[in-house]
Amino acid sequence: MNNSATQIPTDNSTYHIPEAALDLISGPQWLHKMRQTARKVFNDTPLPQRGLALWRYTNPESFLVDHNQMVGAQSCEGCNKTTEEVRQQFNDGNLAGLAIDCCGRDIEIQTGPDAEQGLVILPLSVAMDTHEKLIQKHFGQLVGSDTGKFEALNTALWHDGIFVYVPDNTTIENPVHLLRYGDGAKTTYYPRLLIVLDNNAQLTLIDEYSDGSVEHDNGYAYVNGAVEIFGAKDSRCNYIPLQQHTSSTRIYLNHRTRIEQGASTFTIPLVFGSGLSKENFGVYLDGSGAESNIYGVLFGSGHQQFDNHTLHHHRASKTLSNIDFKVVLRDRAVSAYTGLIRIDQNAVACEAYQGNRNLLLNEGTRAETIPELEILNEDVQCSHGATVGPVDPEMVFFLTARGINREEAIRMIVSGFIEGTLSHIPNNLQERISNIVQQRLEVN
Amino acid sequence: MAETNRKKNKDLASLGDDYAVRYGFHDPVDYFHKGAKGINHEVVEMISQMKKEPDWMRQRRHEALDIFFSKPIPGWGNPKLLEEIDFDNIYYFMKPIEEQQHSWDDVPDYIKKTFDKLGIPEAEKKFLGGVSAQYESEVVYHSMRNDLKKQGVIFLDMDSALREYPDIVKKYFGTVIPATDNKFAALNSSVWSGGSFIYVPPGLDITTPLQAYFRINAENMGQFERSLIIADKGSRIHYIEGCTAPIYSTDSLHAAVVEIIALEDSYIRYTTIQNWSRNIYNLVTKRASAFKNATVEWVDGNIGSQLTMKYPCIQLLGEGAKGEMLTVAFAGVDQHQDTGGKMIHAASNTSSRITSKSISKDNGRSSYRGFIKVHKNAKDVKVSVDCDALLIGEEARSDTYPTMEIDNDQVRVEHEARVSKVAEEQLFYLTSRGLSEDDARLLIVNGFMEPFTKELPLEYAVELNRLIELEMEGSVG
Amino acid sequence: MSDFVKVATISEIPPRSMKSFEVNYTRVLVCNVRGHFYTVADECSHDSAPITDGKLENDQVVCPRHGARFSVVDGSVLGPPAIVPIDTFNTKIENDNIYIEVD
Repeated sequence: MNNSATQIPTDNSTYHIPEAALDLISGPQWLHKMRQTARKVFNDTPLPQRGLALWRYTNPESFLVDHNQMVGAQSCEGCNKTTEEVRQQFNDGNLAGLAIDCCGRDIEIQTGPDAEQGLVILPLSVAMDTHEKLIQKHFGQLVGSDTGKFEALNTALWHDGIFVYVPDNTTIENPVHLLRYGDGAKTTYYPRLLIVLDNNAQLTLIDEYSDGSVEHDNGYAYVNGAVEIFGAKDSRCNYIPLQQHTSSTRIYLNHRTRIEQGASTFTIPLVFGSGLSKENFGVYLDGSGAESNIYGVLFGSGHQQFDNHTLHHHRASKTLSNIDFKVVLRDRAVSAYTGLIRIDQNAVACEAYQGNRNLLLNEGTRAETIPELEILNEDVQCSHGATVGPVDPEMVFFLTARGINREEAIRMIVSGFIEGTLSHIPNNLQERISNIVQQRLEVN
Repeated sequence: MAETNRKKNKDLASLGDDYAVRYGFHDPVDYFHKGAKGINHEVVEMISQMKKEPDWMRQRRHEALDIFFSKPIPGWGNPKLLEEIDFDNIYYFMKPIEEQQHSWDDVPDYIKKTFDKLGIPEAEKKFLGGVSAQYESEVVYHSMRNDLKKQGVIFLDMDSALREYPDIVKKYFGTVIPATDNKFAALNSSVWSGGSFIYVPPGLDITTPLQAYFRINAENMGQFERSLIIADKGSRIHYIEGCTAPIYSTDSLHAAVVEIIALEDSYIRYTTIQNWSRNIYNLVTKRASAFKNATVEWVDGNIGSQLTMKYPCIQLLGEGAKGEMLTVAFAGVDQHQDTGGKMIHAASNTSSRITSKSISKDNGRSSYRGFIKVHKNAKDVKVSVDCDALLIGEEARSDTYPTMEIDNDQVRVEHEARVSKVAEEQLFYLTSRGLSEDDARLLIVNGFMEPFTKELPLEYAVELNRLIELEMEGSVG
Repeated sequence: MSDFVKVATISEIPPRSMKSFEVNYTRVLVCNVRGHFYTVADECSHDSAPITDGKLENDQVVCPRHGARFSVVDGSVLGPPAIVPIDTFNTKIENDNIYIEVD
């Protein structure tokens, strides 16, 4: 429990990125320029106005860092139980690749036989040399200094990240698993991920965020991440971001995907961690026949605060999108969900669906839901729905009448609630997620 | 066929021409009093002096004006159009006649002509409990059935109510919508004139509706009526208002404030059909408070105007209170209907339902902006929101921005929204039955609107269907 | 679970002023009313946004956006458009330090 009181800052210049900060990071000249622009944009952009649009529920000041107060990540203590489990899976041949990224400073990568088919997993710093053209073409296109103030912060200060590439007509059967570890109190971590799938390529990737250290109470850790995914013609990407930070970590993450003609993506956000988080999952449907599905599960307990956005932007005709975002809250947890579907005027014959269901397990929880539609032409089929409510008392009655105790009944109902979503993720992970949810339901 | 349609299109220009014949006329009028354009403390002072108001109201007007000056133009809705409002080029007060009339025969001819065209006296003769008609800033004609008067019903224009019942007005005025609420509520609070005041005594059930008409006649005129409706314990009332304005080349502003108070066990139905001409900015604040076991029903139709920003709100303050809202918006060429509904649950066992229907035609834009709040001490709450949008034309736009904030677990909240175009299969089916494509489309639109129109008194339903028909003319294309 | 947390010294919040703090991800507003300290949630119950930039008039805080008024002593509503009270938090002074209790 982080019990220190923070005074709300009024003078934002304290939070400017110092010029010297960039000199410490190496890289090609074009990247250095990009960082300088981002630094300037960050320093010059006022904080988003509280109360407007996407900042209704979270104080933007929470995502500022006083660079003088923060320490760089020290030594990564990321080699915990999860690392061992994932290593074991890799050794058993169940993963196509594995990357362990400690605060963007120390990146360990292993690839299996799939690398021979052309699967590339590299630290971004290395890929800058080996795949310079690919990177220059894509890097910063979806999440960069013009995306927003906090994206500019990441773009200026990210240290190293991960690059994943799958060439034409290549299907990577086993998943790739990325482990990204933040560090302890008063540390900053700016994760960065770039995924490029070429024509007709297929990939499943688990992108797991957590902390190497245990909970701490002498100041929060700060994570600000950016993920860019490009799916070329007819490609298929299953992207599973799993967020498991401790409650002493604040996290701001922006995930953006762009898909071309005939391409499809499944994005499965599994949101469990962090004391205060703001995560953005956006997909641009840029080619005819493109299809995007976002199936999310969020579980909140204690004093956790979540603020999630989804965006489906239909920029081409005959595109299809679907969202099902499920939220379970207990204790004093708070969740805000804002989902926007936008269909451009020239994107005709599109279909878009969106659902947000919120299950509140006790008094004291709060759920906000804002499913938005902006439809700019008539030739569409579009709907959204949202529900908020407690566990259905009739279901509880039905189960308890059959001799099941109340706690167990609620566990069963919650499992049932998220089951459909978990069916979209690899088996090994399904089991882990079910266990996490069951544990979170038990702890008092 | 295409040729005929084009001609039809040109002839009708949607509502344009017919609106001009039916409502779009404007009469040359010698105003009894026409102030200067622009807004300042002198204008406010003049309005208050002319109305011989009590000092507290005069002071409130001045305070509200300062609030108006200090508040920014909203940065949402349609900021571009809002920024175009020239507050210095508006008349804030006009008084067409000196004395309010109680007999239709005494109303000056030019005003009579206007209201004859709108059909007020007929309507009154037929069935209405009371009629009030506002022309520019002030109420010019007022009448109420004698039996209602005898039973203690007060139905007056706000100016008279302030003179005759200052205590009731002072007790409730601004308690639901303070001047600080938003820029346009502040403007209304400083220059308000006219509007309806209704008080229904405890236990009284008024079976026939009370009715008011608001009409803007002059160019560059702002209309700022202020209505206050109070249903005392256990009473029941249905209030209906309609609004029109002529067509001018420059824009006029309508910024009303309506406060509705439903005390314990009472029932209020508030029906409004706004049919403004296409150069009116319709920026209104309307809110109801429902106390213990009270019910407020809101039936709200928005046709016409250039920009409407209107989000009626029901605050469910007492246990067992119910709120129901049924809204329709039609956005034709160059129109933006930014409407919606708000339900604030502040007590347990409250329930609410919002049903919103919108039609966007040609390059029209309709936005649903809703807000549901369930406060943490409001247990066993039921909420349902249902939005349906119909798009007609390649450039039509529909936005849905619902916000739901649920601060406790003992609730059932359900929200659904759909956006679609007129289904080809339906069109095909109807045209194969011998209907023209125009008629088939109109039939489908009428079907879409039916849940709304069936809640209206017959005369209004007929009128609304006719207006929709005009809007739909020549829509094939 | 609940503890008193130090937020400031009394000299940091002079009479007739207020200051916003964040404790356990809860934003609170500490107000000095003639030497007495009161703490309320820094969140207007009308629109859920902070009250920090509003005015403190005696023992009332006025929301900067829509003019809602609350008592900082007991959180009650004293002026529209708000209709429900805001939360209050126990506040104590020890050795010139201000402590508040947030659960």
